Amino acid sequence: MTLLELKEGDTAVISRVSGGKGISARMAGLGLHAGKKIRVVRAAPFRGPLLIEDISSGARAMIGRGIASHVEILDEKR
Amino acid sequence: MWKSLTKSDNTEIVIALAGQPNCGKSTIFNAVAGFKVNTGNFSGTTVSYAETQVYIGGRTVRLIDLPGTYSISAIDVAERVARDYLLSGQVDVIINVVDASLLSRSLELTLQLMEMNVPMVIALNMIDDAQKKGMEIDIKALTSLTGLEAYPLIAVQGSGVHELFDSALRVSENGFRRVPPVYDRDVEECIARIEARYPSLLRERLKVDTRFVIIRLLEMDEEFERIVAEVDREFLEYVIENRRSLAEVHDWPESGVFASHRHALVLDLFEQVVSVKSRSGMGLSEKIDRFIINPVGGLAATVGVFFLMFAVSFWFGNLIAGLVEAPLESLGVFLMSHTSGYTAMLVSGVYDGFTAGVGIVLPYLVPLLVILSLLEDTGLLPRIAFMADGLLHRFGLHGKSVVPIIMGYGCNVPAIMAARNLEYERDRIITMLMVPFIACSARTVIILALAGKYLGAGYTTLIYLGNIAIALGVSSVLSRLSEDMSPGIIMDVPPLRKPYLHVVMRKVWIRIQEFLLFAWPVIAISSIALAVFSYVGIDEVINRVLSPITTFILDLPSELGITLFLGIFRKELTLIMLNSALNTTDVSTVLSSAQLLVLVVFTVLYIPCVATISTLWKEGGWKVALLSIALNTTIALAVAGSLAFLL
Ligand SMILES: Nc1nc2c(ncn2[C@@H]2O[C@H](COP(=O)(O)OP(=O)(O)OP(=O)(O)O)[C@@H](O)[C@H]2O)c(=O)[nH]1
Ligand SMILES: [Mg+2]
Repeated sequence: MTLLELKEGDTAVISRVSGGKGISARMAGLGLHAGKKIRVVRAAPFRGPLLIEDISSGARAMIGRGIASHVEILDEKR
Repeated sequence: MWKSLTKSDNTEIVIALAGQPNCGKSTIFNAVAGFKVNTGNFSGTTVSYAETQVYIGGRTVRLIDLPGTYSISAIDVAERVARDYLLSGQVDVIINVVDASLLSRSLELTLQLMEMNVPMVIALNMIDDAQKKGMEIDIKALTSLTGLEAYPLIAVQGSGVHELFDSALRVSENGFRRVPPVYDRDVEECIARIEARYPSLLRERLKVDTRFVIIRLLEMDEEFERIVAEVDREFLEYVIENRRSLAEVHDWPESGVFASHRHALVLDLFEQVVSVKSRSGMGLSEKIDRFIINPVGGLAATVGVFFLMFAVSFWFGNLIAGLVEAPLESLGVFLMSHTSGYTAMLVSGVYDGFTAGVGIVLPYLVPLLVILSLLEDTGLLPRIAFMADGLLHRFGLHGKSVVPIIMGYGCNVPAIMAARNLEYERDRIITMLMVPFIACSARTVIILALAGKYLGAGYTTLIYLGNIAIALGVSSVLSRLSEDMSPGIIMDVPPLRKPYLHVVMRKVWIRIQEFLLFAWPVIAISSIALAVFSYVGIDEVINRVLSPITTFILDLPSELGITLFLGIFRKELTLIMLNSALNTTDVSTVLSSAQLLVLVVFTVLYIPCVATISTLWKEGGWKVALLSIALNTTIALAVAGSLAFLL
């Protein structure tokens, strides 16, 4: 399952970031490593990015849908 | 291990501020150096390094402000500037600035910097935000675990800055206790194996720490791999062999295995240093944020901000321009009646330049700069990027271009530089070519002072909307021409922050100063030049050369040729020289409404100004600069020409 399949308010744990060195490096830079618990705060209109919150630190980042489809997660739906 | 770095007292100490984006490096720089560099609440405010000389505790210090970088393996152009500087071997002391409220993420870079084995201290900035999150940081524990002195700061209020720099100077004099991060046993054994075979030739070639180089190689750093390949191919192959087996043992991709080990260290360190108490309830800024990241709220905020930006500038500009008009006019009359011949020509040139600055440019410029600065400082820019990303995709761009585009409304030069934050060359070049279409403050002055005044709010809005449509159209076409695909946006969204009045004022003042020091003299000199030109008749020549454009295509008086020509140097000049070129005090008596519209549209779109062209050249090479000139000029002629034909 990928990040793309989550809805607003869902939480999940990142299990793997694929899609090349650049993407995983950027994700890691923002603290979004495998094992991190995240929440989808909002999905932007017009198929825009997802606003993701790192639950432990409260830090937020936006991730475009193309990249979100490379982020594998372990589902933890509420 | 102790490293002594005693230097004789008269040498300059180089202190570099390094850290992840948006942690407050430039704010610290400004606190020490006086306000010199731009700050803003988004990642990537600084894209090139800045330096200044300061005297601290009797020592001469060269202080360097670097762009933010998430890790030493820099990805975008701005990050590479930071990396290159840090690896250049010039730095005596690193001040590693961290956003304390994001400590766990920030420590990833801290550990990488520690591996460089350069004297370092930690600035725990934004301690106010950390407290709001209920974080308690055990600074003593941090120091004993890392060997680095650490100081809490609230840089934007100036607190903690003294202690930080005292410590940095102490470290530069007394050396520091090196506590390199220690990894799992098999990783350490791997490093040791490689270290045993480290070629001495490489030690001479690379001025950086051996262990650091090995770790860079284990992280698949291409630049280091290239250098090592040049010196000793066999050694590189040995490293790669070790790297592979390390990845296999841990079942990780080769590129990430080392980072995952470091990440484990960071988590461990973080847990030993930070305890989180209950965090306070939702504050005002979080409530506002909840509203803004809603589609409706976000759209309302974006449109509202833009409307406010131009409406306030227009209203305030007109008000002030109206107030100063009469006194300036009587000054003019007085000057004209007291001078004659050559002096009259000179005096009138200086007077025109002065009037233009005080009476036309500044009244519109100041409110625009204030609002742009508020946009930067509150953190609205990333939020607009979030809202606009989906829409921009249809035009071949994505949300990260929002920052350069909106900065472009102030000045195209920093906006083009801001494209350094885009990770992909394709996105960066399209953005750089798009920015010159954005009506910068100089062109906004022209729009407001001509269209706003004579054509009304409706036409003015249409000009802005048409302008955006053209810019988007350009990016759409360019993106279709390029074969690459952009993977899309990944961008930090910092919390909304309340803007500080003193920061906004200083930021606006920097820009006004630029106008006073650089633009104003150009305007004054051009005014004098124009007076001399018309005295000797050169303006006639320029007007005649440009007349196919002015009279034939644009249906404007040929006298405007010279003003359009001067506009290439500073866009404001087209407006400022208008009255004297047309020999009137009220252009609406000479030009029809249609002609005014054509003039404004043409001025907004045609050839980027000299400063913009040279920035395009530096950032993207001569091809990009030439392409930009060609694009802007063709589109300006086509659009303004059609308008002239139709109206
Ligand atoms: N709450 C709080 N805000 C701060 C503090 N220090 C700086 N800021 C704000 O944080 C934002 C980022 O500051 P900058 O100095 O531009 O950060 P930077 O590290 O230079 O950022 P880049 O150049 O993008 O890497 C600005 O809006 C500052 O006003 C602080 O101690 N507390
Ligand atoms: Mg900065």
